[in-house]
Amino acid sequence: MLNFETPIQEKKSYNDLTISEVEPIIKINLRSRKREFSAKIGKILSIIPPVESNMSSINDNYSLLWLSPDEWLLYSNNKINKYEEQINLEDKLFNQISKLNQGAVTNVTDHWVMINLNGNKIYDLLSKGCPFNFNDFMSKKGSVAQTIVNHTDVILHNIDKGNLNLFVRRSFSKHLWSWINDSARFI
Amino acid sequence: MFVINCPFCGERDQSEFSSGGEAHIIRPKQPTELSDDQWAEYLFMRKNIKGVQFERWNHAHGCRKWFNMIRDTSNDKIHAIYKMGEKPPIV
Repeated sequence: MLNFETPIQEKKSYNDLTISEVEPIIKINLRSRKREFSAKIGKILSIIPPVESNMSSINDNYSLLWLSPDEWLLYSNNKINKYEEQINLEDKLFNQISKLNQGAVTNVTDHWVMINLNGNKIYDLLSKGCPFNFNDFMSKKGSVAQTIVNHTDVILHNIDKGNLNLFVRRSFSKHLWSWINDSARFI
Repeated sequence: MFVINCPFCGERDQSEFSSGGEAHIIRPKQPTELSDDQWAEYLFMRKNIKGVQFERWNHAHGCRKWFNMIRDTSNDKIHAIYKMGEKPPIV
């Protein structure tokens, strides 16, 4: 279900750095090893699941992130304010993929919280608690990384240089939010 | 700490991975015909040698895929990484 009562509901600005929670948005996990899967997703969403590792596909409405060779995360680019929109999309995908044994469709809207980080110093901020090497990642538009930030599992989606969406599990979101804000004061 | 080249995601820090112990242990075809000792041998007993060892690893905080690794346990030098189901390369 869509998160209307989100855990953070804040926007903070620091020197060359803006952090805000972006909710409610739809998030759907897609899994398949079938060949027809890509074409089906393309037909339903007008977006092709990326085959290249650590990359994403983006259109006007949705972003599709590579998570593993048979797993992708779909999320809406804009806030969704009607339950019907989410249910329609989930039903459409479920009926044409899960029901026909083409793959698995799981609604993970409640599972993840999306935090947008904006500014030139976001990579310095994340590097404070993350073992990931951001050198290639930051200049590659649409790159994706699953890693740990301050011992917390995250998915990072680099929309553009200096603009990044971070997905964190809902139960860890407040903790990570506190850590991000605390670390932001020192960069 | 060392860097592991995940066959799916690329080079990542060791802290993103978890070790799954010795690789290439074959499950007995007829477990019911084994004695308790033989079953315990298969289930629990693992080599822990100082030197080159075949291991299973999981990219737990990344793509969550399992893969095999040939690692020297004395100096953490990685000799080869290969996917599950592939034949181990000659080192």
